[in-house]
Amino acid sequence: MNQIAIIARLEIRRAFFSRRALWVYLLALFPAALFLGRGVSVNYDRREYAAKPATPAVVLDRLPVGTTDAAALAAAGPPLRDHTWKRAQTTHRSLHYFDGSNRVWLQFENGALKNTRRLPLNSFDQDLRVYAGVFQYFYLRLAVFFGCLGIFINLFRGEMIDKSLHYWFLAPVRREILVLGKYCAGLIAAAAIFGGGALLSFGALLSYQTAADVEPYLRMDALAHGFWYVLAAVLGCAGYGSVFLAAGLVLRNPIIPAIVMLLWESINGFLPELLQKLSVLHYLQSLCPVPAPIDPSAPPLARMILSPAAPSSVWAALLGLVALTALVLWAATRTARRLEINYGTE
Amino acid sequence: MSHDLILFDGVSKFYGEVLGVNKVDLQIPPGITSLVGPNGSGKTTLMNLMAGLIHPGRGSVFVRGISPFAPEKLMRILGYATQYDAAPRGLTGFDFVRAGLLLHGFAAAEAARRAEAAIATVALTHAAPRKIAAYSKGMRQRIRLAQAIAHDPAVLVLDEPLNGLDPLVRAETIALFRDYAARGHHVILSSHVLQEVDVFSDQVILIANGRIVAEGAIRSVREEIHEHPSQFLLQCRQPARLAALLFEQADILEARIDPAGSGLRVLTRQRAAFADAIQRIALSGVVIDGVLPMDENVDALYEYLIGGGQ
Repeated sequence: MNQIAIIARLEIRRAFFSRRALWVYLLALFPAALFLGRGVSVNYDRREYAAKPATPAVVLDRLPVGTTDAAALAAAGPPLRDHTWKRAQTTHRSLHYFDGSNRVWLQFENGALKNTRRLPLNSFDQDLRVYAGVFQYFYLRLAVFFGCLGIFINLFRGEMIDKSLHYWFLAPVRREILVLGKYCAGLIAAAAIFGGGALLSFGALLSYQTAADVEPYLRMDALAHGFWYVLAAVLGCAGYGSVFLAAGLVLRNPIIPAIVMLLWESINGFLPELLQKLSVLHYLQSLCPVPAPIDPSAPPLARMILSPAAPSSVWAALLGLVALTALVLWAATRTARRLEINYGTE
Repeated sequence: MSHDLILFDGVSKFYGEVLGVNKVDLQIPPGITSLVGPNGSGKTTLMNLMAGLIHPGRGSVFVRGISPFAPEKLMRILGYATQYDAAPRGLTGFDFVRAGLLLHGFAAAEAARRAEAAIATVALTHAAPRKIAAYSKGMRQRIRLAQAIAHDPAVLVLDEPLNGLDPLVRAETIALFRDYAARGHHVILSSHVLQEVDVFSDQVILIANGRIVAEGAIRSVREEIHEHPSQFLLQCRQPARLAALLFEQADILEARIDPAGSGLRVLTRQRAAFADAIQRIALSGVVIDGVLPMDENVDALYEYLIGGGQ
């Protein structure tokens, strides 16, 4: 254990601060930046619309399809924006109102009301679903995946490229211990970066919600949701990290394992159930507290790729992921025992 | 299994299609052993095999009874200053040596003390707090040497250890090797500077094209080379008379007066008969100030066995 700690301590600085790690931080912080940006936009809209006259929702709701634009103007009063354009033989007109909490567009074709589109300034429920989508489709599938690729594959491969791996091989350390020490260093760095990234983005999501929305959520689910999101990110680092560490022991080109793994994870949803269990994403999706939305209008192939595999129970997911990680690490230690220093010929 | 020898038993190593070493059988006793051979001959391959950085495709290696497949045991008794120039990024010279000692299990204070002592031995104390990335080639050479000796190993393996050292440090380093050897340790080194190898080696291993050409003490190796006559310089004041006597009494191939005026240069294939003749001539009253073998050195062995000058 002492040797694992020493190796991890020596390696961790490199995992956190290498120049190669810059894009890992960018990936980890992207969702937080996204939701901070969303917060800025929502707060701007709130200030903007607070100063504008509101038309009661009941007035706007009372306008049936087919109402003329003149009648609508007479009933609802002057709009915030009035936009008319012509396409082919049809004249389109859009009257934009604000009902106090929603933005409303009355859309006319040739002077008759065609439909009413309503968008809230902000919907917390919708934001939670968007966050779940961003977390599962971007953060777990791409950010954690590629971040771990960058951190873990270089633990051995990077030292082979730098011609410094022999330093470790000349220490009185079993190769298994060396693998575990380096894995721990990578895991601590990745977990801090991506667990922190998940926490930051979740905090950013809550930061701009109204007190009426967020207070009940904080009392009920927020802590549990935050915990599971962070845990999923950390376990993602553990799972993907073991795979990429093992890949770095045998392959010099990181593109190959990245493509193979990405394909494997992508087609996991329609693999037989037994094979689904050999996927990191399979377990991670089962840990996420909110199901990620799938746009029904998305192309069939995209829907197939994005569809989650058959979910496992939380405990099965945790145990499955730990078992999968242990299996891959065991294989990595076996490989490390036979690994040779071969920077080039003598 | 001998616990004071380094053993290579039928060891072959190929890098894909490229030969590293082939069918190597060696028994290396304690003392200073120099690996001598041209670039690409397999010297570093032999050293890497000893240290477990590479593994034999065939045969086995044991270092004082320990297999290189057990680095946790081997590296406690072996220190290796490789030819590889790089160190893990961001480490200072002191950290580089101390981290290795921590992995050996030394307590932090003891590791720091040993690191300082090893760095002082290679005269690098002033640069210890600086990052290795900023070191010159010679300084990197020295810090690798410091790391190799810091845990006082019983087997010291050194790839071109004298490269880049200034004369003073070079002399101190050679003294260090002698001290190690005197304590019954192994010092295995490769060097291109054959004159130096001559001076401090107890034995040499000549290697060419991945095969061992000769091994043993320099003199005994020379005595096994029959196709090249032995050369001697006889220091005397009457070289012409001495030459005449030698042609009468011994099987001399050639005798020439030394152009530098220091005596007579002689070629013979019969070393024992030559030695007897010299003794008789000296006893007969001809003054012979000294008998110097001219080709009992690594340079000559290298030329005879491998070919080409170094």
